[in-house]
Amino acid sequence: MNRRSSGARLFLLPWIVGFAALTALPVLVSLALSFTQFKDPLSMNRLQWVGLSHYRQAVETARPYSPDRGDPWYWNLLGGKPEDVHFHQSLYNSITFSIFAVPLGLAVSLMTALLLNQRLRGTSVARTLIYIPHVLGGAATIVIWSWLFNPEFGWINEGLRCLYRFADPIVRLFREQGTADFPTPAWLYSPVWCKPAVVIMHVWAIGGSMLIFLAALHRVPRALYDAARLDGSSAWRQFLHVTWPHITPVVLFNLVISLVFTMQSFTESYFLETRQQKDGLLFFALYLYRVAFEPPYRFGYASALAWIFVLVLIVLIVPILLSGRLWVYYAGSERTSKG
Amino acid sequence: MRGVPYIILVSLCAFILVPLIWAVVSSLKPLEEVYAFPPKFSMHDPQWSNYREAWTRLPVGRFMINSLFIAGVSMVGAVWSASMAGYALARLRFRGRRLCFWLIVGSMLVPAQVLLVPRFLLFDLLGWVNTYKPLIVPAWLGGGAFNIFLFRQFFLSIPSELGDAAELDGASAWQTYRHIYIPAARPAVVTAALLSFVYHWQDFLDPLIYLSDFMTYPISLGLRMYQSMAGTWANLLMATSLIALLPVAIVFLLCDRYIMRGLGVIGETTGTRRR
Repeated sequence: MNRRSSGARLFLLPWIVGFAALTALPVLVSLALSFTQFKDPLSMNRLQWVGLSHYRQAVETARPYSPDRGDPWYWNLLGGKPEDVHFHQSLYNSITFSIFAVPLGLAVSLMTALLLNQRLRGTSVARTLIYIPHVLGGAATIVIWSWLFNPEFGWINEGLRCLYRFADPIVRLFREQGTADFPTPAWLYSPVWCKPAVVIMHVWAIGGSMLIFLAALHRVPRALYDAARLDGSSAWRQFLHVTWPHITPVVLFNLVISLVFTMQSFTESYFLETRQQKDGLLFFALYLYRVAFEPPYRFGYASALAWIFVLVLIVLIVPILLSGRLWVYYAGSERTSKG
Repeated sequence: MRGVPYIILVSLCAFILVPLIWAVVSSLKPLEEVYAFPPKFSMHDPQWSNYREAWTRLPVGRFMINSLFIAGVSMVGAVWSASMAGYALARLRFRGRRLCFWLIVGSMLVPAQVLLVPRFLLFDLLGWVNTYKPLIVPAWLGGGAFNIFLFRQFFLSIPSELGDAAELDGASAWQTYRHIYIPAARPAVVTAALLSFVYHWQDFLDPLIYLSDFMTYPISLGLRMYQSMAGTWANLLMATSLIALLPVAIVFLLCDRYIMRGLGVIGETTGTRRR
């Protein structure tokens, strides 16, 4: 294993060029841009130093918090009504979406993987089927879901109405009016229900993390399960003491990757926005796109917002990574602790 | 009790299938039935002509060819550059190897929003706006951190004796890579190819930023056009969505048996810190 390093450089050359030109340099440029603005954004010249004013503009408040005027609760954290209401709303939306979608998605994908790992009949067909939405994803499935969620003509609400009709006699035993006033949500036409709708869409497409979980489950030594069974351990105890320790590294990996991914959701927001949502689905990525690429093309301000977003991501992810020391079990670390 | 896992599994599969069945049913309905209240679950007279109409109302064929071109060329580049980088990280010794590895892992966590504006300015400077270059060239320069990581993990899982033997016989690093490791890494190649094809097929933000001529649109942007002008023809919109899904579904079904082994290596060694 003593190969000349010039060879290695050649193998890495495409990546080095890409990393330098398309990641490292843009990161620096973006940081610099966040302190500047173009005097004339269309011709992109006459760059002007503005210091921290973009950052200040992003976090400034216009007036104190007053719940009587129906201010959303998170304005309290900011100290009042923000100058840039949409920025904070979009950040709030992205975080709320991720906080619900990521744990739910991981729980469902882990449960699915555990089921598929039981070697039941027909699991290979089920695995393919459950993975499919992950590859199909994107604009086309978003369009299909938006029609499925249509409050009047979509199957989801029709399914709910059927369910209510079916359950009506039973519910009547407990309340006089039966299911007559049970809600059929307006989904994408409601400021409240638009987020659950997108969370459901997210859970539909958890095939990727499911497959990574499944691959990790395949690698848990069978002998450990046999030993646990001989000791008379229940299925739950087997999961807790055999399966879970082995898959914790993958849980951490999936958690971080899907958090980073959902926080950057863009296409859902772009396709599914309606006026009736009152910006309930305005995700950060969409707002940033609008700031940067719609007139008046505020590249500098957009860069500052992107860096605040990086800060938010760090605040979300670093505690998760640090907590990993408490609950992630690394193969081999046991040996070092003993010796 | 033994039936419970089956019940859960079957309901999961139903959950996956319902939207797709719904799209097929809606795409075959005549317009007045799509907007029938309450909606009907069945249909008696499938309107296959909806597909012809969907295909011609906007240049859907053109959009599909554009998408195939973008996704195909990017896919080849991503597999080429990511496999080389992954090979160097897994099997070659050189100074800065660990640094490169951590830079790659770290770049997975850099949000696209930070890179958006500077990349646009760079591509604008190069005169690449309104061409496919901003969509394709990045794939040839690294092929995505996830793919590099995938190849590295896979090459590490191949016994090194194979490469060492070739090396002893006087094979160069390139020959060992090309004739020993790449053929042995077929699951990783197929998985990376599929994932990058799918990624570029679905990509919406980059085409939105860089393309303005409508004949160059990929199908993702085409669907958006359809959606914004076709609020009234839901059946045609569903037909177009299904047309857009078809190539990805075919590619996926062709690769399915490799993906499990390809992605398997992610679960395999993410936990081990050093080998």
